[in-house]
Amino acid sequence: MKERELRKRFLTDPVPEELEARERVWPTVRAAWETRERVSWVERRARPILALAVAAVLVGAAVSPPGRVAAGWVREQVATEEENGRPLVRLPAPGRLLVLSPQGPWVVQADGSRRLLGAYEDASWSPNGLYVGVAGGRRLAAVEPDGALRWTLTRPQQVSQPRWFPRTGFRLAYRSGDNLRVVVGNGTGDRLLARDVGPAAPAWRPGERHVLAYADGEGGVRVVDVDTQRELARLPLLDEVQKLIWTGDGRRLLVLGGNGQVEVYRPDRTDQRLWRSSEQAVRDVAIDPSSPRLAATHFDRASGRSRVLLMPLGGGAPRELTSVAGRLGEIAWSPDGRWLLVAWPDADQWLFLRMPDVSRIVTVSNVSREFDPGATGSGDFPHVAGWCC
Amino acid sequence: MRGAQAGSVSDLEALFRDHWPRAYRAAYLVVHDAAAAEDIAQEAFLSAVRSLDRFDRRRPFGPWLHRIVVNRAIDWTRARTLRREVGDESLVTAAAPAQPAPRALSEGITGALADLTPEHRAVIVLRYLLEYTPGEIADLLDLPRGTVNSRLRRGLDRLESRVEEER
Repeated sequence: MKERELRKRFLTDPVPEELEARERVWPTVRAAWETRERVSWVERRARPILALAVAAVLVGAAVSPPGRVAAGWVREQVATEEENGRPLVRLPAPGRLLVLSPQGPWVVQADGSRRLLGAYEDASWSPNGLYVGVAGGRRLAAVEPDGALRWTLTRPQQVSQPRWFPRTGFRLAYRSGDNLRVVVGNGTGDRLLARDVGPAAPAWRPGERHVLAYADGEGGVRVVDVDTQRELARLPLLDEVQKLIWTGDGRRLLVLGGNGQVEVYRPDRTDQRLWRSSEQAVRDVAIDPSSPRLAATHFDRASGRSRVLLMPLGGGAPRELTSVAGRLGEIAWSPDGRWLLVAWPDADQWLFLRMPDVSRIVTVSNVSREFDPGATGSGDFPHVAGWCC
Repeated sequence: MRGAQAGSVSDLEALFRDHWPRAYRAAYLVVHDAAAAEDIAQEAFLSAVRSLDRFDRRRPFGPWLHRIVVNRAIDWTRARTLRREVGDESLVTAAAPAQPAPRALSEGITGALADLTPEHRAVIVLRYLLEYTPGEIADLLDLPRGTVNSRLRRGLDRLESRVEEER
């Protein structure tokens, strides 16, 4: 083979996925470019006039209405980001998403196909993804991922926050009005567990026994054996609890407080609190299923920017994975711990970050429209209720 | 480059579309895996655009990008070889499907390239796809020029014999 022929074939013969990959990658490159750390012309080119230029900027800022410049910049960032990304063609990792939209919960398969489960307001996966616990109005139900109804029960009050026991699915906790109730996984044996509970969803402890942590109405957190109704631990008064999560080994309980601070407890010890994050204004937090660390979204009101942080569960300095203009929302790990889904409501996008080093970012755009077909407005941004097996 | 640095998204897109084919092909020809090539090319572009503002416009953009692509492709291939040797099946999940196109590069060329080490493949790709001179390849890969020449000769011989066998 002549060199010329080889050169020609290298340049012109079709290569698998070349064009498709280009279209997939372009939105990500553009998003990275738009959120890059900007270096001014002055910094690049003309150090000697840096002081003069800074002085000019300061004078300009002094005569500008404060906040308008910053707000305009944020709007510009968000507006341009809205044009990025691609439709939800498929998930970048194995598993299925459960997404709550104004129309109800959707199951999104790995290939991107999705199904609306019905007119429910809340939902969660059963441990192996065989069922979805759904709540809507005064009705609690278990449905299959294709929407088939398995069982249902009706309560006199509004029902919400269905949560399956993680290992076997033999118990389902839920909220009815201000009460916390538990039902056996087949829909039988419904009974009251606690009255006047706090707004955070309860969290089952992984393990053999049916142990549940919940926020009580007095600002504390209680850990209860559901079958014996025995209280195993009580955490001290906290700022309003937003979220409770157990670590995979069931030893540590993570609490996201109302002030956006993360605390980690060992409920079985007298010196219960192990660690408190130095960061506040954390919007959401999720524990890596494959490693003792957590990911969090953090919003800085002063700069109008959000960051995605990775923190070791034992404490230590958080590591910034990425930052964007506007507010970030929920965060969820893929079942294999290799991807992180971050909701970005201000840009109407989901960001999928390839972990551990964000070596790849996949953006999905127009998320609200994806889960509100036929809507004429932008619609409410959907919530990610779980990324299951 | 100048426009992208100044904030023009259309200039950035033009830069991206101009350089994508060679970046992706270079990665693919070294790793022989479409999903990995996509990851490698994307990583190279992300590295490039994140530091675009600091890039010296007097230098050409292509070699900068190609150096990242080719070195990452070599690293990826070495890592895969190592995992294969130790029997670890948990390769990094690829985000893109690796479906061969009906008119992809012939088995002859890709097969012959697969017989070469990643370092040999990189030299061939740099020479015949990205059209660098042996001296430039030596600089890019931090190799003696004689090594580059011998790898080129050996690689070309292998390609010729494989393609002849198929004819």
